[in-house]
Amino acid sequence: MLIETLIAVTFVAALVVFLTPEAYAPQVAFALSLLPFVGSLFLWTRFDASGNALLEGSTVAFETQAQWIALDPYAINWHVGLDGVSFPLLVLTTVLVPLAIMSAWTPIQERISQFYGLILFMEASLIGVFSTLDFFVWFVFWEAVLIPMYLLIGVWGGPRRKYAAIKFFVYTNVASLVMFIGFIALVFGLGDSVNSFDMPAITQALHDGQLSGFAGLGPDMLALVSFIAIFFGFAVKVPIFPVHTWLPDAHVEAPTPVSVLLAGVLLKMGTYALLRFNFTMLYDVAATLAVPIAVLGVFSVIYGAMLALAQQDLKRIVAYSSISSMGYVILGLVAFTVYGIGGATFQMVAHGLISGLMFMVVGVIYNATHTRMVGDISGIADRMPITAGIFVAAAFGYMGLPLMAGFAGEFLIFLGAFQSTVLPGAPLFTAIAMFGIVIVAGYLLFAMQRTLFGAYRLETDYEITRAPLHDVVPLFVLIALIILLGVDPDIFFTMIQDAVDPLVELGGGL
Amino acid sequence: MLAPTQLLVPVEWYLVLSAGVFCIGLFGVLTRRNALMFLISVELMLNAANINFVAFSLQWGNLTGQTFALFVMALAAAEVAIGIGIILVLYRNFRGIDVTEATTMRW
Amino acid sequence: MAFEYAPLIALLPLASFVIALVAGEYLPKKGGLVGMAATGGSLLLSIWAMLRVASGGFYDETLYTWVAGVGEGTLSLSFGLLLDPLSTMMLVIVSLIAFLVHMFSLGYMNDEGETGLPRYYAGLGLFTFSMLSFVFADNLLMAFMFFELVGLCSFLLIGFWFREDAPPSAAKKAFLVTRFGDYFFLIGVVGILATFGTAQFAGEGAFPQLAEEAIVGGETLFGFPAGTWVTILGLLVLGGVIGKSAQFPLHTWLPDAMEGPTPVSALIHAATMVAAGVYLVARMYGFYALSPTAMAIIAFIGGFTALFAASMGVVKDDIKQVLAYSTISQYGYMMLGLGVAGYVAATFHLMTHAFFKALLFLGAGAVIIAMHHEQNMWNMGGLKDEMPVTYYSFLAGSLALAGILPFSGFWSKDEILYEALIAGLENPVLLAAYAMGLLAVFFTGFYTFRMVILTFHGEPRSDHAEHPVPLGWNTKIPLAVLGILATVAGFVNMVPVAELTGADITYLSHWLDSGPEQLAYSTYTATAEEFAHIHHAELTPLIPGAIALVLALAGAGTAVALYRGPHPVAHTDKLGGAKDVLVANYYQDEYQVWLAEGLTQRVARGADTFDQGVVDGVVNGISSVSLLGSGRVRRLQSGVVTNYAALITTALVVLLVAFGIYGGWF
Repeated sequence: MLIETLIAVTFVAALVVFLTPEAYAPQVAFALSLLPFVGSLFLWTRFDASGNALLEGSTVAFETQAQWIALDPYAINWHVGLDGVSFPLLVLTTVLVPLAIMSAWTPIQERISQFYGLILFMEASLIGVFSTLDFFVWFVFWEAVLIPMYLLIGVWGGPRRKYAAIKFFVYTNVASLVMFIGFIALVFGLGDSVNSFDMPAITQALHDGQLSGFAGLGPDMLALVSFIAIFFGFAVKVPIFPVHTWLPDAHVEAPTPVSVLLAGVLLKMGTYALLRFNFTMLYDVAATLAVPIAVLGVFSVIYGAMLALAQQDLKRIVAYSSISSMGYVILGLVAFTVYGIGGATFQMVAHGLISGLMFMVVGVIYNATHTRMVGDISGIADRMPITAGIFVAAAFGYMGLPLMAGFAGEFLIFLGAFQSTVLPGAPLFTAIAMFGIVIVAGYLLFAMQRTLFGAYRLETDYEITRAPLHDVVPLFVLIALIILLGVDPDIFFTMIQDAVDPLVELGGGL
Repeated sequence: MLAPTQLLVPVEWYLVLSAGVFCIGLFGVLTRRNALMFLISVELMLNAANINFVAFSLQWGNLTGQTFALFVMALAAAEVAIGIGIILVLYRNFRGIDVTEATTMRW
Repeated sequence: MAFEYAPLIALLPLASFVIALVAGEYLPKKGGLVGMAATGGSLLLSIWAMLRVASGGFYDETLYTWVAGVGEGTLSLSFGLLLDPLSTMMLVIVSLIAFLVHMFSLGYMNDEGETGLPRYYAGLGLFTFSMLSFVFADNLLMAFMFFELVGLCSFLLIGFWFREDAPPSAAKKAFLVTRFGDYFFLIGVVGILATFGTAQFAGEGAFPQLAEEAIVGGETLFGFPAGTWVTILGLLVLGGVIGKSAQFPLHTWLPDAMEGPTPVSALIHAATMVAAGVYLVARMYGFYALSPTAMAIIAFIGGFTALFAASMGVVKDDIKQVLAYSTISQYGYMMLGLGVAGYVAATFHLMTHAFFKALLFLGAGAVIIAMHHEQNMWNMGGLKDEMPVTYYSFLAGSLALAGILPFSGFWSKDEILYEALIAGLENPVLLAAYAMGLLAVFFTGFYTFRMVILTFHGEPRSDHAEHPVPLGWNTKIPLAVLGILATVAGFVNMVPVAELTGADITYLSHWLDSGPEQLAYSTYTATAEEFAHIHHAELTPLIPGAIALVLALAGAGTAVALYRGPHPVAHTDKLGGAKDVLVANYYQDEYQVWLAEGLTQRVARGADTFDQGVVDGVVNGISSVSLLGSGRVRRLQSGVVTNYAALITTALVVLLVAFGIYGGWF
């Protein structure tokens, strides 16, 4: 009942914050957001999962399973549980939300209660996404994340917020629809061998070769078509080239804390789902499509980095570099080795922390200067030395500096991808993708040189003041976590490996 | 219960009459701009249906049709009451009862 | 007592980094003393470790597992210490130079009233920590990680004066160029781990050993014959070496890096960042010795860089620029030495160069303080009488750099050239490398003494030169210590003297031959002979040594002859167009900047236009089409009741007709 409690507490917290008077809402929201955080730490002490939640022979932590709606022929169950893949992401969510809430104290000055209420509502849904093992319930949570995000961008966003919010919503919703159709077709194709939307059961049936035709498609063709539909659905969320264009717009318009959560957690929903659905349930199709998927991943890496190089807006730079970083994750997944998939999962957490930090730092600078354009500011380090120092640390974290979390993720991915037996020409793909680390250094160094260093100059009519303490504290917390994970990746990587290992054995990889 | 009887006038004639009345009503609905005429045309169409009900009731010796005709009359009365109410509101808001003038509900 | 305290060698500077960063503002000397204490502690521990190794100790332990694996295919991703003759020698050099640089910084930074000093000392601490950890790393992955951290520290320290425009730009360039090299290095690390399943330098199943076995066994690795694959991996790792050790063509960052404070330049050039590249090759020498191609490339790049950089040093007017090009050139010699299987010679030069280059930079720093931060040599002159300690120590360093008997640089450079010659007599590629290295000796002598004469001799050519600022003890002590070392360090391996007298005085060779057989000098030589086919001709070291000495003296003599006297003339102007090319550094910067900015930015902007126009254009196009379509369709909702009625009627009729046709009523 622990996961249910966690979700329920977060929902109740959201309701409480909705009803709190504006004056206290920031503090109350922060205090209440610590509850799920403490809850997830408590879960950690009792975490006893082994193996992969979707595969046979595993122990799922905190599992509950109850029939909810007994439809015929497909029952809808309440089935939740955590394994080594989902738990780190759950922790990431509960860690980032309090920090994002604190970083919102300065920029959010209207409709305060609703803002924090929506963030907590989103957190509850996110916890649901990462812990649910029944497709129907999972899909409800999945879609429920969109609503608060749409409102957060559309109400509190920048000048083009309506465009960005609608683009985000329509884009991801269409993607969900395609994914839903693809998955349901798969379930129908399984015929009588499943009688619920239970994901482990569906996985088992698929691996046992129970798939028969549906809608005029043979089993192989059905698996392929479903795979592509599901892949498309999640690719939008990740995002992968060429379905990435909603992301920069959403990031630029979203207020800082929303960007933090969007880059930090929401993108990971896409990669998490890719791992669960495409690379676990339909791993054999993924193996046959390894080359095109790897091409997409590697191209996203280079393409996203090149786009970031051309940007003048700090937030756009970080937004495009997220596309680049997510490309690494795709490469790691498709490699189908323990280090590849494990590294990809680790990279989800690492990138969540680092990109969150990056957006927060940009936000702090924006709070002080009211501009994010590289050309408008220079020499910020003179007036905001601590913020600038953290900017430098975050940027180097993004570049994959060793002993920071990003390096661990990227290195493990590269190692796994290089070893891959599933992907033909794996060393070449890896080498090309690695060039991303040079380009990322290029644009971040350029951006730093122009904004942080040089003579102090500001083109807006604001007087720079030192950032308030509550702006800086989340930055320090994130830096500490990034270094901690970089020095000791085994904090998460042990459990990740444990969950990934059975999957890789299944695929016959290394 | 009436026994099916040989009607003095064959049922086809009633149908032709009904169709004629209905078409007149429809023509009124499609061409008239005056809301009162509109309402009257709708009444005509309803009564065309009534003629059918009654004719078939007599044809098959079944009272259900006649009952329905009574229902339709009651309904028409209610409809006229509401219709007249709408027309009054229309007059108050648009200073006239031309239905093509009141187009505030478009796209 | 064994080596339990060895990790402290690196951890002490890490502690000083943390302390200076957190509490530097409140500490005496803004953290400088803490840094001195920490590096002093490291120095003592390093010496102690070296003594342990000298008495037959050896330490190769994994201390911390970075990523533990489960199941099959697990790789060892860990941190550990490897303390052997090579690494302990390097530890002593690094911690000594770091200690002296800290001391010198008290004079160069604190006494000059700089701001941001805690940041400075934190940077120095982190730099020392990273370099020491890199030096005693027991596997390639750990080495790579600290190699990268060294790059970060160079970025922080080169860009120390961030309020000006040039230092941040130089810092960016240093990081970016070395990052480009590290890109290849990273592929190499991943490749080595993926191929051999380990990145250990030493011990049973170390990767050089596995590579050797694979070549002997004629295995096929990743679709290549083992020998080819080893060459590919070696060259990939070499990318990082070329970047960090500023070898052609990735040397362009180093002259710009002179924008950093001078003590930092001393640290970067003598002991840390630039030394890291060459040290890495020496560290995994057992791997490189397996590949003839890699060895030849190392030798050739080294020889070429030595000559190439020396020629540019001839025309520079900034004292630090001259030293910068001399650094590139000297590291070229080390690469040349490594490439011709002169492992001892290269290591020897690494050591002597650390001393005399640190000395020269600190001496230049002393001059710069005295000159109120004037760096142009044409505004100096006549400083020899005003600053005797600086002058004599600087002169000792210069004699060593020029390679003049009996100063340290002579012995080591001479040994490299000797090794290159005897290898070159068997192999024309190596002979070409030797020829370039030999020619560079003349240029080295020339630019070194041009610098000495212009700076210290003649009449003062500016007000500052007439009345230099007096120096404190904290600048003089490091100069004195390094001056002595630069003079005598060469006596540890006097090959020609040993040949002449027959006395067994090649101590460094014996030192590097002690320790485990796998890492011993003689093993490397044997491997290089067997696999890389580097054979050494029989030749006495005396004649090549004499040639090099004569060339060095000729260069130095030419400089003295041209520039002596109270009012020297800019003779290099007579070079005409050649000087322009040299001053412009052979236009190396231009094409690299064009690659990084001109080309890449253009491609990036093109990609951006494509993304905004085509990819996002399609998305927006779809939305426009649906908006346009809905705009048309919604016009049906005209608001006119009659129209609705007409629509309903029409639809009803259409439906009836359709049903009629479908149902066969007609």
